[in-house]
Amino acid sequence: MLKVQEIRELIKLIDESSISDFTYESNGTKVTLKKENGDVVTVAKPSPAQTQIQEVQEQAPNPTVEKQPVVKEEVKQETKEETTNENTDFNYEIVSPMVGTFYAKPTPDDDPYVQVGDSVDTSSVVCIVEAMKLFNEIEAEVKGKIVEILVDDGELVEYGQPLFRVKKQ
Amino acid sequence: MGNTRKRLIDILSSHKDTYVSGQELSNMLNISRSAVWKHMNELKKDGYQIEGVTKKGYRIINSPNDLSASALQWDLKTDWLGQEIVYKEQVKSTQLVAHELAREDAKHGTVVVAREQTEGRGRMRRYWDSKDGLGLWFSSIIRPMYIEPKRASQLTLVAAVAIADCLSKKGLDIKIKWPNDIFVGGRKLAGILTEMQAEQDFVQYIILGIGMNVNHEIEDLHDSIKEKATSLFLETREKMNLNHLLDQLLEELELKYEMFIEDGFHLFKEKWESYAYKIGEWLQVKTNNTWDAKVIGIHEDGALIVTDRQDQEQVLYSAEIIW
Repeated sequence: MLKVQEIRELIKLIDESSISDFTYESNGTKVTLKKENGDVVTVAKPSPAQTQIQEVQEQAPNPTVEKQPVVKEEVKQETKEETTNENTDFNYEIVSPMVGTFYAKPTPDDDPYVQVGDSVDTSSVVCIVEAMKLFNEIEAEVKGKIVEILVDDGELVEYGQPLFRVKKQ
Repeated sequence: MGNTRKRLIDILSSHKDTYVSGQELSNMLNISRSAVWKHMNELKKDGYQIEGVTKKGYRIINSPNDLSASALQWDLKTDWLGQEIVYKEQVKSTQLVAHELAREDAKHGTVVVAREQTEGRGRMRRYWDSKDGLGLWFSSIIRPMYIEPKRASQLTLVAAVAIADCLSKKGLDIKIKWPNDIFVGGRKLAGILTEMQAEQDFVQYIILGIGMNVNHEIEDLHDSIKEKATSLFLETREKMNLNHLLDQLLEELELKYEMFIEDGFHLFKEKWESYAYKIGEWLQVKTNNTWDAKVIGIHEDGALIVTDRQDQEQVLYSAEIIW
């Protein structure tokens, strides 16, 4: 079964390619990605590709796959500790509280707020999410170590989308 | 500013046409008559013109032109916005001061005003020219009780409508460039920078920063922005009293904020669109690639609605727009 991260990577690659239809099948799980008009989709609404992911996730029996990002559920993600995960060891995800653009650094010339391996405190600012020119400084809200950064600087993010994976202390 | 001084100003500003005797003031403020006299002298130093008539009392003829904490208090008719004013002669940025105060639990409605900012900043810390006494640079601390973080961004459009309404009363043809830049005659007059500290479902505080060019002559504008910016003076040929203007803006902002909190954003959609900059015009949007878009209006939630060349409607929450 594909990991969410791998699906994300696929979407990115397909987005940049001329492929308009992609299907992957393994162990009875099927992932289908489609580009509806072959054009780039804006942050507006979940893009067709993203909608597809969510549908797949709902059918997926595999617990390592995240559920459709709903805030409350993300907070309870500690259950992940019980599941095996070969690549990254994390037990908390920092999710976006709103639709907007993800900024990893205060200005284009600055260093990122945090990098993989950095320790964070509950009040450490980890990034900014901007929508309609409201700049939301996102705090870690937990004490721990950043193990994975899931989005790129300048990327559009959805409400509830995981941004960082943290190993809580 | 002390509480007594603030109450003294409130009393005097509500008695503009009549005299208030020293004895009355002393009773109302519960201070001695010599203390009243001392306060009056302090107000004179701030630039108040006070008329004192024997057996009648005091009357203020003119409130100061120069920005000061006491002058800002004059005639301010808000309930909470700006009732706590932190006035500074010079700061790096009012946003920074407001953030510090907010972290130290400053009250909802506290407003930081500076005469000059040495490192005034806009979006992405872009430099905002804010020279001594020429414009208004102020940051308001807002602590919304019942707004989810995802709805808070609508506040930026609400603030723009408040400013547009306030300035329209001065006969200016104001346009709002989505979401919240204030334009007159195709040039930028004022900008809003809104920053938020929020948890997943709770807003700790919002700092609403507003920068407005007021009494700038053309040579006061930096060469790099001469073609792109304007000031109230350049548009109206009238110099304005910054204290009065700030009071008017705070009153309008408070009113609009309360409407937004009570009834939501839908009341603002039409109003905002009536001010929309470049509505019906083509411009370019940069997402993964750059594409042509025609401005249609705004969505119920404040997002920008455009159509592309295929006549497909697109809703934008965050995008680089080449206006």
